[in-house]
Amino acid sequence: MKASSNRDFVRQSNVSFSQPRRLRSFWQIIHIDPILLAGLLALCGFGLFVLNSATGGDPETIIRQAGTMGIGLVVMCAVAQFDSQFYRRWAPTAYVLALFILGLVLVIGAEKNGAKSWLDLPGLPSFQPSELLKFIVPMLLAWYLASRALPPNLKHVFWAGVFTLLPAALIVLQNDMGTALMVTMSGIFVVLLAGLRWRVVFAGIFAAVIASPAWYLFLAQPHQKNRILTFFDPYRDPTGAGYNIIQSQIAIGSGGIYGKGYGNGAQSHLDFIPESNTDFILAVLAEEFGLIGVLVLIALYLFVIIRGARIALSASDMFGRLLAGSITLTFFLYLFVNMSMVSGLLPVIGLPLPLISRGGTAVVTLFIGFGLLMSIQTHRVTQPVR
Amino acid sequence: MEGRWQLKDREAERRLFARRMLVASIVVAFLFAALLVKLINLQVTQYDYFAARADGNRLHSQYVPPARGLIYDRSGELLADNQPIFNLSVVRERVDDIEATLELLSSLIRLAPEDVEQFRERLKRRRVPFSSVPLRYVLTEEEKARVSVNAHRLPGISIEPQFVRSYPTGELNAHAIGYVSEINREELGAFAEDVRENYGGTNHIGKTGIERTYEALLHGEVGYEVVEKNNRGQVMRRLERTDPIAGKNLTLYLENRLQRVATEALGEHRGAVVAIDPTTGGILAMVSKPGFDPNLFVTGISNADYSQLITDTVNTPLFDRTVNPYPPASTVKPFIGLGGLQHGFTDTDTVIQDPGYFRLPGVRYRWGDYTLRTAIGGGHGETNLQRAIFQSCDTFFYDLGYRMGIDTIHSFLSQFGFGQNFALDVGYARTGVLPSREWKQATRNEPWYPGDTINSSIGQGYMWATPLQLATATAIVANKGVVVKPRMLAAIDGEPFQPQDPNPAGNVQVDNPEHWRYIEESMTMVVHRPYSEVFRDYGTAYEAIARADRDMSYKMAGKSGSAQVVSIAQDILQSEDIDVSDLNKDHALFVAYAPAQHPTINPQIAVAVFVENGQHGSSVAGPVAKAIIDSFLLDILEIDFTALATDPDALLSEGSDRVRQADENSPSFVAVNAEHEGHRHD
Repeated sequence: MKASSNRDFVRQSNVSFSQPRRLRSFWQIIHIDPILLAGLLALCGFGLFVLNSATGGDPETIIRQAGTMGIGLVVMCAVAQFDSQFYRRWAPTAYVLALFILGLVLVIGAEKNGAKSWLDLPGLPSFQPSELLKFIVPMLLAWYLASRALPPNLKHVFWAGVFTLLPAALIVLQNDMGTALMVTMSGIFVVLLAGLRWRVVFAGIFAAVIASPAWYLFLAQPHQKNRILTFFDPYRDPTGAGYNIIQSQIAIGSGGIYGKGYGNGAQSHLDFIPESNTDFILAVLAEEFGLIGVLVLIALYLFVIIRGARIALSASDMFGRLLAGSITLTFFLYLFVNMSMVSGLLPVIGLPLPLISRGGTAVVTLFIGFGLLMSIQTHRVTQPVR
Repeated sequence: MEGRWQLKDREAERRLFARRMLVASIVVAFLFAALLVKLINLQVTQYDYFAARADGNRLHSQYVPPARGLIYDRSGELLADNQPIFNLSVVRERVDDIEATLELLSSLIRLAPEDVEQFRERLKRRRVPFSSVPLRYVLTEEEKARVSVNAHRLPGISIEPQFVRSYPTGELNAHAIGYVSEINREELGAFAEDVRENYGGTNHIGKTGIERTYEALLHGEVGYEVVEKNNRGQVMRRLERTDPIAGKNLTLYLENRLQRVATEALGEHRGAVVAIDPTTGGILAMVSKPGFDPNLFVTGISNADYSQLITDTVNTPLFDRTVNPYPPASTVKPFIGLGGLQHGFTDTDTVIQDPGYFRLPGVRYRWGDYTLRTAIGGGHGETNLQRAIFQSCDTFFYDLGYRMGIDTIHSFLSQFGFGQNFALDVGYARTGVLPSREWKQATRNEPWYPGDTINSSIGQGYMWATPLQLATATAIVANKGVVVKPRMLAAIDGEPFQPQDPNPAGNVQVDNPEHWRYIEESMTMVVHRPYSEVFRDYGTAYEAIARADRDMSYKMAGKSGSAQVVSIAQDILQSEDIDVSDLNKDHALFVAYAPAQHPTINPQIAVAVFVENGQHGSSVAGPVAKAIIDSFLLDILEIDFTALATDPDALLSEGSDRVRQADENSPSFVAVNAEHEGHRHD
């Protein structure tokens, strides 16, 4: 314990005592990154626009979604007000607290859509504590690895693995495979960015490839097997398991290059696309705006991702780099998995399209992540990114 | 451990991180590229395929059934209408678990096992994929509401409005109009391909009566439409439409008021009434009693209702008595008598001595006179043809028939349509039997015996005729030999209809017109010849008709008949101590036409009445005929015979005008008109 507090002291003393070299800009003072904010606002606007069509112009849903986004933006600003060192300091505490809450959820949690991952506390809106792990896990790993020599040795990698898999296992127990996967990936990203040796990386990939048939044969649950079979041949059960993916492919394909026009997506307006407001909203977008619409969306996402990458690269310390890098890559993974599953590139995994799909907790979680990015970007004492 | 941090090479770590970010960027770029390739594959390369699939999802081509033609009587009263009902239909392809759905539905609405059974039968038929199959007809408002509330639990189930046949007159016209009912697989299979296509949207087909005969006219032509449907099969909008062409509206010669009068006049009896307009052959009335409610069949008759109809072996409500043969009995006597006159086997002066029985030369067996079996013994005494008709003397006709021989009887009577179906559009009518040597040889493989001729001469034995045939033959007598063939259809969509007659028949050959007059006189005497001092000199129907209505303003020609049901020996029937059940009682028959012997107006109506087990032709069947003729001449045609009698010329035009007014579109006024011009039979 003594050693650890010692290191902290040194690390803090390293960054906090030097003076700013030039006058802070307005954005630095309010701790907001205008470029990232612009990208996010554009995405939110686009998302509301598509959602309006996907819901058939239901104002109630749109207002609620806009409200959620507003809350997200406020939360983002609030998160950005704290120095990244604050998060670094509190990462272990937050992690332990989060593990405790996850355990609590297992005992008193509420079940929704088959996952017992919701916490209904009196006086608070019900939320999924597991969502918070998506940035608490990378935060902890960044805290853990940043203070050690990089690339990490096997012992550190081992402990990083334990820190990642512990909450992931609790989330699996809540029967929420999607979130568990994302939490695990956010941890893996930190380790990868910290410089995990390539031979270990390839060994891990190789092991996964070897292990996957065994997983499929002995561990996979029937509905998981079904999803994988459906992925390879949606038409084996066209009105059942394959229905969603077939209909969403029809919607995307029939959109063509230019789309059918806003509000003219027959597939979604005639209810052929299930969950057109949530996981499958990309099908609505692709049907109405065509390939061009999807390209615009990808461009907006790329804009945010590149900005996240720039923030990570220019972060003043390794904690900031690792955290920002992991948040950015997790964001990418989110949207990539969703777009791939809707277009048939990956098996169906229940993940929303970030900032476009209707949703509550997930949106706020995303904004907390962006708040952390902004914190890392705007609390630096060294030369800020252009 | 203390110095570990000092070993950290911050710059090297930054570069390591930067390299890892570069690798990550490459992976991200690669994954985006893969996604892009997939999207281009979907949206550009396979665009045509998916665009077609999307249209296939939402666009559905469906049949639009035509409205079935309506059926009117000759006065424009609606006999067959179309009424909207609401059906519960199932699109099988949209239902995942049909058993669970049926179970849920049966908890919401009344769903009899037979509904489900019929539904499964329908599912097996050839049908367009994603077409809706009816499960329950005629939902009540409450059932509609219950299904609607639970719609989200019932994918593929919908409530569909449909127009179905409705018969406002119910039982009254059940046999004549017939009914439509659900089309079955055999009927569909019998269609040619294009006809089957035309029935694509049709659930019903005419099964009996007019509905069946004129199915092709009534059905109309199917329409098509392309609709946009949502995921639940609800029609969101119509995109293209070829309107169906409604079936033709038919106007019949049938007069609903006469149907009612005939039904009421038959009272509690089982029986049949056929009335024909002698001028056109138009069938004015066609009642078989008891009837049934044709509306039961339209939406699928329940097993309970159906078994009730078919297990009633006494009343046999589904059995159409108007077109089924019975022994015509004495009603054939005027025809045989006319044949005897034409072929010279008798003349108006020939008189025989009737001892009350007939005996073939050299044969001991005596053919008794049935008409006398309940009366005091002995015969009619001196009898000529006229008396033989109005007194219905069997002995005279035994003798006449025996001398004419079966060949002459057969050839003469066949001119009146006996043994054939003269009706132009009552194809389902049976032909009865007009026996001949060939017929007996062919059907019984027996030679013709003289005794067979004797039975046939009084309309018994092998001779069988339907009430429709009797009415037709009577109409031909009323026309003095001009053959008219009975028919139902008067007009199609208001245009008068002239049917094609594939086998036109010549008029009845009677060389001396005086013989027609003589037969008419004889038949008029049946009704009007009063009681007198002379022994057995009154008409058999005098008491029941002319005496019962002393104010009768016109004359009616008629002939009664009592047909033996079973060959029970006379002495047994007469015996007091044997209870003759109702079912063994004779069938009562009466044929008539009117007005007869009128100076200016030709006969307007010919009637045949058959009363099953009615026992007495004159007293039971006669008044029924009288009621129908009264109603037609006096109430419907509104002919004022009393006024005509006092001032025939002045009132005739008024009278005929009134007839014309009474039924503008009916061909029957032509008769009065033609008569007025005075060259009808020339």
